[in-house]
Amino acid sequence: MNVETFVTDKAGLNKFYEAIMAGHETYAPVEKFGKFDFNRVSRIGECNPESPISKTQSIKPLFFPRSAKVMKYVATSAGTEVSEVDEDPLAGKRVILGAKHCDARALQVLDKVYNWDYIDTDYQKRRENTIIISTRCDKADTHCFCTSLDYDVENLDALDVLVVNGADGKIYLQSRTEKGAEFLQTDVTRHASRVTKEIAAPDLKKQYDSFSGTFRLKMDYKEVNAKLSRIFDTPEFENVSGNCVSCNTCAFVCPTCHCFKISDEKVKDTGVRYKSYDSCNNGYFTLMAGGHNPRPVKYRRWRQRAMHKFVYYKERFGENLCVGCGKCTIACPVNISIFEVVNQVAIGQ
Amino acid sequence: MNYTNQIQEIAAKLFAEGKIDVFVGYRMNGFDDNQVPVLITGPQDVSKLVFTDKSVFNLVNYLKTDHTRKKRVGLVVKGCDSRALNLMLTEKQVKRENLYVVGICCEGVVDDAGQKMQNCLECIVPEAVVYDELLGTAGKAETRAYKVNVDIAALAEKPLTERAAYFEEVFENCIRCNACRHSCPLCYCAKCCIDQETAALYNGANTTSAAFHALMTWSLHLAGRCVDCRNCEKACPSHLPLHLLHKQNESVIYENFQEHLAGVIPDDRGAFYKYSLKDPDDFIM
Repeated sequence: MNVETFVTDKAGLNKFYEAIMAGHETYAPVEKFGKFDFNRVSRIGECNPESPISKTQSIKPLFFPRSAKVMKYVATSAGTEVSEVDEDPLAGKRVILGAKHCDARALQVLDKVYNWDYIDTDYQKRRENTIIISTRCDKADTHCFCTSLDYDVENLDALDVLVVNGADGKIYLQSRTEKGAEFLQTDVTRHASRVTKEIAAPDLKKQYDSFSGTFRLKMDYKEVNAKLSRIFDTPEFENVSGNCVSCNTCAFVCPTCHCFKISDEKVKDTGVRYKSYDSCNNGYFTLMAGGHNPRPVKYRRWRQRAMHKFVYYKERFGENLCVGCGKCTIACPVNISIFEVVNQVAIGQ
Repeated sequence: MNYTNQIQEIAAKLFAEGKIDVFVGYRMNGFDDNQVPVLITGPQDVSKLVFTDKSVFNLVNYLKTDHTRKKRVGLVVKGCDSRALNLMLTEKQVKRENLYVVGICCEGVVDDAGQKMQNCLECIVPEAVVYDELLGTAGKAETRAYKVNVDIAALAEKPLTERAAYFEEVFENCIRCNACRHSCPLCYCAKCCIDQETAALYNGANTTSAAFHALMTWSLHLAGRCVDCRNCEKACPSHLPLHLLHKQNESVIYENFQEHLAGVIPDDRGAFYKYSLKDPDDFIM
């Protein structure tokens, strides 16, 4: 694979970003109420591509929107007429700036389920048309544990262009996919100078080593996978889920959770059908039409969440459905940490 | 404010005497100075309990879960929490005889940044109003007169269009996870009206209009009941200023309904659930 590497400085990077915004549909973290969410931007001043990881929502809504129209319909006594919805607003060619490595990795994990028995063409189109530019973190946050999971954070190929803050104010841009290499060959890189990847390698390595040394949380995911799969009936799940308030916000902010519900917005005969986020921690998530609920109590729902992340998805698709971003723990009103939960249940720590 | 030792002693005594099945308190999260609510089911875990100015979450929320339902529960409450408990008792959601309440004379709790929370700065009922045992010195807290919330006062200065634009932004940023509702101690309905799948107003779709209707309905159901514990704001992943909705209702009710404050007086129902001859009637022609 052709790897394009460039070096520039802070001012050059901003010019690079501005060139992207001028020529492409661009999404970047925009601050609202002290929280960053990925919105459409046209100037560097509107956004902060280096937003703190603890205050940034994931990029998942740009691929799997919080709510999307599925169809429109008119239902009268004469019959039902179904029509297509308006054009998908997320399907165009676009660039995402300031995505975090964990968010980009999450898409790679989600690709497996979206290309499984049913191919989600909307999702695929959004993926194909997007260039992801991701800055490698310089420091791990309190709840981060990405380096403890089953992916190589240093050589991650889930992103198209890698940005690394090297020593002495140098900033490296490196392509990680063919798509990224092609993108870096366009005139957006006129504010950076091309170097070989061998010249950049020591600096990139040094930055990664200093970054990976800042993690508070470390675990052996293989041990967790193996042990969790054998202890479905452990009473420990009841203990660890005791203080959960079932607010579901963990699933809504999670970059890999992909459960959804279908709901209708209907006025008289005319309606729109929506597909929106849902969560397995919701009491009525598994409630069936006849009134039976296979997961009627909280600890069973919590067990499902933990097992889906670290056992079921791993067994079916070979990946953990957790990327170690810590967003659920940060969002949790009672600070329950998924890291702590799976380690406590599986390893008893 | 540190009642760790007293609470551990009380919990140990209650378990030893067989008076409770579960004790709801706070424990350290194990790596920084923040705390996590904990449900303790036996004397072996009593040493985990702590109470400091980092004990933020309103534990009355746990009285509606399977872990505490139909059990004898020991519970730690601050001033605002005890008001929520009072309402739960008035609304017959919990039985007083099943509870052993450890009240705190609260001096205010602090947020993640170590700053005293805004609701604590404005709190006029810092001492627990319902308890079996009160920790701290009653009457020590500085007495404050009721004041309109500073954010509400600042917003009221702005022109209507600006205010409308501000709230539009609030509703646009709502991701409809309903964490605010679930973390509210006074939202205990088994089936909430905003959980409908087929309705023009509150279907699960995350449109701005659905968010608007859900949040407004929620705030009106809590009008005259909200105790300003800010569990909802702590839960909101979008950091929305949800207290604005509740504090606005609170100040209107305080002004118009004989200075009503939710849950301060035992057996006092919410402002909208009682009638008084002094209620204003100037809106009737």
